[in-house]
Formats: sequence, C-alpha cells, structure tokens
Amino acid sequence: MTLNVAHWLYIVFALGAVGLYLLLPRRKSQGNRVGLALGALAVAALLVVPALRIGAPGGHNGYFCLFSAIALLASARVVTHTKPVYSALYFVLAVIAVACLLVLLEAEFLAVALIIIYAGAILVTYLFVIMLAQQSGAPIYDRTAREPLLAVAAGFALMAGISSQAAEQHASSRATPVVATAVGSVATPGIPTGNTATLGTVLMTRYVVATELAAVLLLISMVGAIALSKKQVPPEEPIPAPPLGLAGREVQPF
Amino acid sequence: MPGLTEYIILGALLFALGLVGFLSRRNLIVMFLSTEVMFQGVVINAAAFARFHHHVEGQAFGLFLLVIAAVEAGLALGMAVLLFRRRGTLDAEAWAGMRG
Repeated sequence: MTLNVAHWLYIVFALGAVGLYLLLPRRKSQGNRVGLALGALAVAALLVVPALRIGAPGGHNGYFCLFSAIALLASARVVTHTKPVYSALYFVLAVIAVACLLVLLEAEFLAVALIIIYAGAILVTYLFVIMLAQQSGAPIYDRTAREPLLAVAAGFALMAGISSQAAEQHASSRATPVVATAVGSVATPGIPTGNTATLGTVLMTRYVVATELAAVLLLISMVGAIALSKKQVPPEEPIPAPPLGLAGREVQPF
Repeated sequence: MPGLTEYIILGALLFALGLVGFLSRRNLIVMFLSTEVMFQGVVINAAAFARFHHHVEGQAFGLFLLVIAAVEAGLALGMAVLLFRRRGTLDAEAWAGMRG
C-alpha cells in the first residue's frame, strides 16, 4: 500500500494549512471564504474515518465527529478573526466543544471544571481587558498578520511530525493491542468509587504536595497580577519636594 | 469508539492552531487567547491518555493544567494592561525594541 494513513494525513494537513493561511488577516482580505471552505473541507476529510464508523456498536463516533469539528473550526476562527471580542466568543464555543469531548472521555469533573474556569472566569477577564483596551475601529495590527506563511509552515511541520509518530504507533498498536491495567483506582472499602471520587482520592493522597503547590502558585499569581496592574493612586496630601540631588533618583512605574 | 490516535491528533491540531495564532497575530490579547487554545489541546491529550490507559492520573494532570492556565491568564492580562498603559496600543510590534 503506497498511500498509507500518514500520507493521507499530510494531504489533509496541507489542505488545512492553506485554508488557515488564507483565513489569517491580511491587508487585502480576499480569499476569506475560500479559506473557510478549504478549512471545512480539511476538517471533513480528517473526520471521514470516524464518521464511517458512526453506525458501529458501542461508540460515540457521531458525537466525536460533531464536537471535534466544532472545536477545530471555532479554534481556527479564534486565531484568525480580526476582532478580538469575536475571537474570545469563538473561544467560548471551542471550550464548550472540548468539554463535551472530555465527557466522551469519561472525565466529567474535568469537563465541568473546564467550563467553569474557562468560560466562567478566564473569558470574563479576557473580555474585560478587551473592552478596557478597545480602540475605535479595527486597528492595523488586528488586520494584518505577522509572517503568516512562516507561522502556518511551522504549524504544518509540527502536525506532520506528530501525526507520523501517531500513525506509526497506531499501526503497531493494531498489531499488538495494549492490555489495559487499572493502577490508579484501587478500591478501598468505605470510599465511594467513581471517576470524580477516584480523582479526588488521587489528588489528596499521591499528589497532595502538588495540589498545595498549585494553591500557592495561584496565590502568587494573584499577588503578581495585582502588583502588575495596580493603579498609582494620587496621595491625599501633596508630598513635600525631595531635597535637591535626590529628585529623579526614584523612578515611579507610571 | 474513536481510539487514542484520533484524540492525540485532535489535541495536536488544537495545539498547532494555537501555535500558528501565537506566532502570527500581532494583538497581545489574541496572542494569549491562542495560548489558551494550545492548553485545550493538551487537556484533551491528558484526558485521552487517562481514559485509554485506565489511569486517573491523566485527569489529575489536566486539573493542574487548568491551574497553570488560570495563573498564566491572570499574569498575562495584568501584563497586557500594563503594556497598554505604557504605549497606548496592544500591538506587539510596539515592543519590537526589546528584541535582543
């Protein structure tokens, strides 16, 4: 067989890369529809193998195709839309599709946490900053991309490398199926079993130090964000002028 | 059902899309949104490994990834506000003078 899975994936990725290149904002924004059509064609060609197995028993192939297509197209619009507000809203769509995929992967807690943290907290912050720093009209730096050809080529090279390895693994794992072993979920009497309970048990036993470190990291980042963006409040009473020779020694950040 | 390879390729595609966005966009906020897209791909990978190796540790890594993403978003947006106050623009090219 000359045309194996890896070659087919390369063709699909090349198609998607051309579509992405046409979609990236440029001075003369033609080829937008062509790029979108090419990208959609690439996603459809990529998903044709899972889609062929939609009727197969014991699978969520239909849901996988649907949510993957939504996630990929929404992510493509995040990186190509000329208006940052729309980028952020497309990102919400991508996050919701990814959360649905996580539910398919039986990671329910992670899926809900993803929606709450991303769509609930991070995106609101992003939108807040976008509104704060909004300029009238579409500024030039939103309408032009920086080296789109090289960036798309870098993405294509990354995908080609990963997919050749993944296809190789796929072929070898077809030959010798991996025997799955349950290591992390040791059933203890009195402790409820289940995905979320197991996750909590692992977090609180094996990874308790990492969990504490994550909490400390969040605290540090909160302090850092406040220190970075705090506004210089003017003092109530006028500061007496510094003695001659000391003026200008201390440079205020603003 | 879709196997591990499908999920790995999907995660890698999301990562590559974010990479292209980070390399090519000039708006600071859109650049950081692109890094969040990259995080989505990694979270899918972690959850897929957890599912197909019957091991819950992948999901634990996914949770830590969420923590890192939140930290990164907070600091990045604080920095974006700071840079916007300094130069009055979100253009990354305005800071091209910091090139080594």
